[in-house]
Amino acid sequence: MSNKIHVSSSPHFNLKCNTTMIMGTVLFALLPEIIMGIVLFRWAALIRILISVASCVCFEYIFQKVTKQKVVIGNLSACVTGVMMALVSPPTAPVWIFVVGAAVAMIVAKGLFGGIGSNVFNPALTGRAFMFLSFPAAMGASWLTPKTISAVDAISSATTLSAMKAGTFAVEQGTYWQYFIGNRAGCIGETSTLLILISFAFLALAHIIDWRAPVAMVGTVAICSCITGENVAMALMTGGLMFGATFMVTDYATAPLTKKGRLIFGFGCGLITFLIRRLGGYPEGVMFSILIMNSVAPFLNNLTARKYGYGKKAGRPADAKEVK
Amino acid sequence: MRAKTFKGGIHPKEYKELSNQCPITPAFPASKTVTIPVTMGGAPNQPLVKVGDEVAKGQIIASGEGFMNCPVHSSVSGKVKKIQNCLITGNGMAPCIIIEADDAGRETLLPVLNPFETTKEQALARIKEAGIVGMGGASFPAHVKLNPPADKIIDYVLINAAECEPYLTCDERTMLEQPAKVIDGLAIVMHIINGGKDGQGHAKGIIVLEDNKEYILPALENEIAAAGYADKMSVCLVKTKYPQGAEKFIVSAATGREIPSAKLPADAGCVICNVGSICSISDAFRLGMPLIERSLTISGGAVEKPVNLRVPVGTIVSDLMPSCFTLKSEGASEPVKIISGGPMMGFAMASADFPVAKGTSGVTFLTEKETFLEEESQCISCGSCVAKCAMRLSPALIVRELKAGNIEKAKSFGLMDCIECGCCAFVCPAKVNLIQRIRLGKGIVRQKMAEEKTKAAAKAAAEKAEGGK
Ligand code: SF4
Ligand code: SF4
Repeated sequence: MSNKIHVSSSPHFNLKCNTTMIMGTVLFALLPEIIMGIVLFRWAALIRILISVASCVCFEYIFQKVTKQKVVIGNLSACVTGVMMALVSPPTAPVWIFVVGAAVAMIVAKGLFGGIGSNVFNPALTGRAFMFLSFPAAMGASWLTPKTISAVDAISSATTLSAMKAGTFAVEQGTYWQYFIGNRAGCIGETSTLLILISFAFLALAHIIDWRAPVAMVGTVAICSCITGENVAMALMTGGLMFGATFMVTDYATAPLTKKGRLIFGFGCGLITFLIRRLGGYPEGVMFSILIMNSVAPFLNNLTARKYGYGKKAGRPADAKEVK
Repeated sequence: MRAKTFKGGIHPKEYKELSNQCPITPAFPASKTVTIPVTMGGAPNQPLVKVGDEVAKGQIIASGEGFMNCPVHSSVSGKVKKIQNCLITGNGMAPCIIIEADDAGRETLLPVLNPFETTKEQALARIKEAGIVGMGGASFPAHVKLNPPADKIIDYVLINAAECEPYLTCDERTMLEQPAKVIDGLAIVMHIINGGKDGQGHAKGIIVLEDNKEYILPALENEIAAAGYADKMSVCLVKTKYPQGAEKFIVSAATGREIPSAKLPADAGCVICNVGSICSISDAFRLGMPLIERSLTISGGAVEKPVNLRVPVGTIVSDLMPSCFTLKSEGASEPVKIISGGPMMGFAMASADFPVAKGTSGVTFLTEKETFLEEESQCISCGSCVAKCAMRLSPALIVRELKAGNIEKAKSFGLMDCIECGCCAFVCPAKVNLIQRIRLGKGIVRQKMAEEKTKAAAKAAAEKAEGGK
């Protein structure tokens, strides 16, 4: 026998799945959205995705070097953040803005909070929120219409959500289908409800994400829209709701860990999204709703399941006189 | 029959097929020497023999006065060579009696006793005399377990036949090869639990079997019918899932009850015995045989031909090589971990030079591919551990609070309820050392409790002294 015998504590078995593989799977699940973005917006999308990813990885590397931590960019989590941040941004946003966003995402939102798993706010969304609030003109003034794919040009048109808010939105025949497959103006990766549903199904079936928070969020928006007599299908398919529910609400570190906590978390995100869309000053509320709920998530962790051995089932039932 | 189950838990690869076709074969260590730990379950024993003494097979060689003591017998006829500290399961050193076997064949067994003619006290005395402990790993003395406090009404005697650890198959083989003995043992335990000869108890017997062993079910049911116990014994099929074999989940799957936090199975009206123990109980009455032999599985990817063996207690595992099994030696199939027990809850040992004790249900030799040696990385808060914890605790949050020093908060997330089953660490993608950290946390709590106790005692004593003035 060799001297390679290891003694470490049980269990000596585990799933052959590690952090890098999980992040890799998420990246894989994002592929359809990436491809769709590139198909719709061409170079504009590709360049922004690449810049965003590259700057996120760089900033994480620099931060970990400077703070003398172990460099763990190999776990791909910075890549995921980069891709997500690009996908939730408009294809017309200036390229340099992604570098700024990446710095905020990786250093302020993630690094300073203690790195992977310890951050309170979703880094990609924090980066985007910073871009959005600091440079509103650059981030939301103009949108690209994908219909003119051959010669993509910027138009200063209102988005569906602002149109809906203003009451000037008209549904034509075929609109639903176009929206469903994603042939519409919008952020790089948020347009296609169909593809996002596919990603969701894949991630949920692979047990990478928990269905609870996304379903609760989308369900809440649907129910609220239904009650207030809005166009439910449009409420679900426009803006970043589907993307946010699939990829942002399920972000590990910034959502609660417990099942009950996740349900409430999703419900809160849905409700706030609805309220902002309807009453707030912004056409879209997904980003802020998730960031607001992120700050509540640590408290929602207290909503744990009933532990074994507590409550009604524990012990010998008082009426168990004779067993049959 | 629909298989019952519990919430949470995991499905590790089982690897039962490596050894479940291998009949239990008697084996004897090549060195003709056994190393018997002085204490195997219960309170610490004192050796009753000296170096140079001749001992008979079945002779008591160590024991103690207390209720919690459980005697230890010589498993061979031979001569005491040494009494010294040796490596035992758990990687500690503990006093062991080393006996070299001779060919004299001296044997002192107990007189055969008809279990159904005895009172409860007589039967319990016999079980203690025979040195019977739980043979699934925890080694709790059987005479204590089978004597629950009088105010606890016992409704069920459950046989833990789940054997949910991967690789291990010795219980499976025992039930297949000796179903009659299992049923007889169960009947004896029920007789004791129901109060002995003139007892009033009404407890029923249930054999809790995982459905990967469903093929044994007909044999067990036939045996129950043949022995005429059909009205008070049954077999309950449960889903194959880890940690089904933990006491708590045996109770909840079979009866729908839960053992209250920090309480015993008796508080849920149940008594649980392992398959190995139940057979030794039968042997202790029918053959007068103390617990000096046990069956175990030797398996794992690094073992050339996995086997089920029946060996004298005290057999040094490496003494069974190469006569009973051999290890692979080329590169990737070399063992990197030697585990006393199964891979989920067993102890990693530094070498195979440790004795088979009463609670050793198997030895697993894992290759690098089977086990994992990755270093811990930062928790990514994925929640898998929370989703899979069989006790429905929140392991990641317990550990997070422990790190922050919030012991009370950690307790509220279930620190003290953890059964250390390992489901959480099994699924953790970041390989966080969850169990080690939880164990440390429990240690801190226990230490604190002990300190408070002594403080309170000191205070009480001081007050008494004050009052006496
Ligand atoms: S926390 Fe304890 S009881 Fe829960 S899975 Fe982990 S080891 Fe098992
Ligand atoms: S499974 Fe591991 S990484 Fe995931 S929450 Fe639990 S401890 Fe953290």
